Amino acid sequence: MALLSLQNVSKSYKEGASTVQALKQATLEVEAGELVAIIGPSGSGKSTLLSIAGALLQMSEGTVEINGMNIVHLSAKQLASFRLKELGFILQTSNLVPYLNVLDQLLLVKKMGGKVTKDDKEFAKQLLTELGLSDKFKKMPNELSGGERQRVAIARAFMNNSKVILADEPTASLDSKRALEVVKLLAKEAKERNKAAIMVTHDERMLQFCDHVYRMEDGVLTQQS
Amino acid sequence: MFLALKELKYAKFRYVMMTTIIILIAWLVFILSGLGNGLATLSAATLKNIDAEYVVYEETAGATFAKSILSENLQDDLEKQKNVDKVAAFGASTIAVGKTKSKDADSKEDVALLGVEPDAFFMPEVIEGEKLSYDNKKGVVINDTLKEAGYKIGDILLVANSDMKLEVVGYVKGETYNHLPAIFTVLENWRDYQYAAPGSDNDTDKAVQAFFLKAPNLEDPSTIDKAVKDVETVTKKTAINGMPGYKEENGTIMMMLAFCIVISAFIIAVFFYVITMQKTQQFGVMKAIGASNGFIGKAIVAQVAILSVLGIVIGIVFTYLTAKILPEGMPFDLEPTLIITYAIVLLIIALLSSIVSVRQIVKIDPLTALGRVE
Ligand SMILES: Nc1ncnc2c1ncn2[C@@H]1O[C@H](COP(=O)(O)OP(=O)(O)OP(=O)(O)O)[C@@H](O)[C@H]1O
Ligand SMILES: [Mg+2]
Repeated sequence: MALLSLQNVSKSYKEGASTVQALKQATLEVEAGELVAIIGPSGSGKSTLLSIAGALLQMSEGTVEINGMNIVHLSAKQLASFRLKELGFILQTSNLVPYLNVLDQLLLVKKMGGKVTKDDKEFAKQLLTELGLSDKFKKMPNELSGGERQRVAIARAFMNNSKVILADEPTASLDSKRALEVVKLLAKEAKERNKAAIMVTHDERMLQFCDHVYRMEDGVLTQQS
Repeated sequence: MFLALKELKYAKFRYVMMTTIIILIAWLVFILSGLGNGLATLSAATLKNIDAEYVVYEETAGATFAKSILSENLQDDLEKQKNVDKVAAFGASTIAVGKTKSKDADSKEDVALLGVEPDAFFMPEVIEGEKLSYDNKKGVVINDTLKEAGYKIGDILLVANSDMKLEVVGYVKGETYNHLPAIFTVLENWRDYQYAAPGSDNDTDKAVQAFFLKAPNLEDPSTIDKAVKDVETVTKKTAINGMPGYKEENGTIMMMLAFCIVISAFIIAVFFYVITMQKTQQFGVMKAIGASNGFIGKAIVAQVAILSVLGIVIGIVFTYLTAKILPEGMPFDLEPTLIITYAIVLLIIALLSSIVSVRQIVKIDPLTALGRVE
């Protein structure tokens, strides 16, 4: 069964008198251990799709099931704790908290849910080590390179052991060499940890690491491979 | 707490500035309340010092000393009343005294001449010299601040606009009345001054202005009014409020304090609000990865609490340091209970003002975190 499943999802934004149909009957399923890429021109609706999959935005029509749970009827408060438990987000740059060191960035996620245990600390260190940050535990975000920061963001997304990972242009602010590294790590972690991961990207070279590629055009989603 | 502390450590300069503002506000509030309290004390220290619950006036006097004339003979009647432990008569006049017959105002002091029985229960302790006694009817004990003006034990004081002479026999401490230093004399002597003009005492035998009652068990003062003819009994608090100008003065001070506190609430709220607004993007990210409003709100409130407590404590220290270097004559009086009260008021105001920021957090849409290059 797919960990993430969007069925016939539509979204329209009301802007004054006119409505913008940002998403038209999009259907998408992601299995455990898969990394799926969504590409498409600017304004085509990629972020909208990801926001809906990430329980950040209400859809107009359709259903979203994450890890077997229909999220349509959850309240804002329930959605926050749902995101915390079931979803990992990797956002664009500067999405680390500026006053926390690398290790605390990960532990913050645990703090949000309650207490930080010794095991959590060990797990955080393990994740960071896998992502090649073993000597950067105590560094502040402003002491890291862009690529290192994105790797911390990836580690943070995996911290809660949630089943679904969502990444919106995680490599937008990186040069292509670092971008490749980061995506490679993302694919590796998703595979090893059996997560369902979606990545929005502009960069066609990243697609080599992805199991499936979808193209978004004017709110219409089509599978390419 | 985790976020709050980490951020305070990281953005030191910003929060040092914020604390400085709170320190300045706390300092201002404390200094103002100290001065206000000092002023209020000065205007009625003697009355406040008196360990009595009630004051008995002439019924028509509207609870003011100057308008009240009673006969000292009522003392026995009052003492007989149920629940009344002690009774003492009292009279007050404002006079000017000097050591020479000069017309020069500089060589004279305005003082409050207070007539009492030497053995009155509220007679303050004489810190130096002798007590009042009927053996020396002209003897007065004076407030020790008059020492600085050059008045010593043994000095003869000439009362202006009168041929009365007074002799300093001792000192008392911290006794002021209507902002004037108090000098105590026996009632008979006071009466000679106050009712010097024939008939000015309305032909009252042994006229006094009021009686103080020590009556801790007396619940309803109106029982006295019923039992004794032509008197009105009020609480000491009412009596103090009835002092000329006391209520107005206190009102002014309270008004200043209230404005000061309300304005500080706005200042603190605005500063925290601005700081919070700057972090909108950051909080958006936290909400996207699953932080509840409560989690972020708690961090903000914790921060406000930490900074406020720190600022208020330093403000208190500054206040006491300031009080030390204030000139002697400056009426500054701040009791710990008052400090604690205002400290708590300030803290509560700071915390309430942080609600404005927390409300803003609730409004932040976690969506702001997605799809943006900043
Ligand atoms: N809050 C909104 N209100 C109104 N219209 C919106 C809103 N958000 C997005 N849109 C519109 O929906 C469409 C899809 O936007 P979306 O952000 O999903 O595009 P995108 O594919 O992520 O683009 P990009 O590659 O530039 O990030 C656009 O036409 C956009 O103008
Ligand atoms: Mg986008």
